[in-house]
Amino acid sequence: MMAAMRTQLKPGGWMVWVVAFCCLFTAPVLLADTAGMKLEAQLLWGTNDATSPNPKHKPVDEDIRKKLKELPLKWTNYFEETRKSLDVTEAAAKRVTLSDRCDIEVKVLGGSKIEVTHFGKGEKVVKQTQNLPKGEMLVLGGNAPNSTAWLVILKRVE
Amino acid sequence: MMDGDVQIKLQSFVDGELPEGEARAMANLMAQDREAAALVAELKYTRQALSGHEKGVRLPESREFFWSKIQREIERTAPVAPVPRPVSWLVRVRRILTPVAAVAAVAIAGFIATRPASAGSGVETSLSDPGAFTYRDFASGTTLVWLSYPAEDTLADGE
Repeated sequence: MMAAMRTQLKPGGWMVWVVAFCCLFTAPVLLADTAGMKLEAQLLWGTNDATSPNPKHKPVDEDIRKKLKELPLKWTNYFEETRKSLDVTEAAAKRVTLSDRCDIEVKVLGGSKIEVTHFGKGEKVVKQTQNLPKGEMLVLGGNAPNSTAWLVILKRVE
Repeated sequence: MMDGDVQIKLQSFVDGELPEGEARAMANLMAQDREAAALVAELKYTRQALSGHEKGVRLPESREFFWSKIQREIERTAPVAPVPRPVSWLVRVRRILTPVAAVAAVAIAGFIATRPASAGSGVETSLSDPGAFTYRDFASGTTLVWLSYPAEDTLADGE
């Protein structure tokens, strides 16, 4: 009986184990929340033409092309105009210029939640707040002349 | 008033337990001290009175055998310590699994409570463009915000 009693955990021992395991499981999540995130912003041109008249344009990355194909967009080809990387933290918003008429400002609100503000010709056009886990993508777009489109892609890299 | 030690020695003297030197000293004390002599007389009288009424008891067996019987009886009536039962493997496994399951439940609850909200939730759009709309493709994890914002006229031309 005494031996059996010795093998049982005391109530205090239970609490220590529970707290230890909780810390073990939740610490990475909490630490991940406090860290910043690495994003990639791209300005794309969407068209049904097979090639772009701009020799600086490059065909869009395959992973982005596949994702765009899943969206209700009518264009078959997308070309990359600009690509910028952003390291964003909760400390401050970061603004990048993708063209002389297109800027975006990204702010980390906590966890994977971000606030993206799009500026067209210096004017604020849209502010989008959403979760952006790794691998997910935010697309801002609009119509362009000759039945083409402009798109701003914001992808979380890390 | 007589000293307590002297009284004890006089009692030992009466019982014949003193060595010869001390017995002689006590005898001299009795001869010189009336109080000591009276105490000795009292002790002798009491002893005599008690010994006259003392019942002589003789054990039918030897002293060792008598005490061994008492010892055996004490051992027989003493509470027996319970023998620890062997603990089955099922009980051992349960002892481990119970706290592990509790910890796992707490950890899962903590993880769910603290993890970032799943994709697609918490989408808020603040638009200055009334013709805009938001579309969410959950399968690819992509959110589309389509604007009627004036086109980038020169985008295809390299600006």
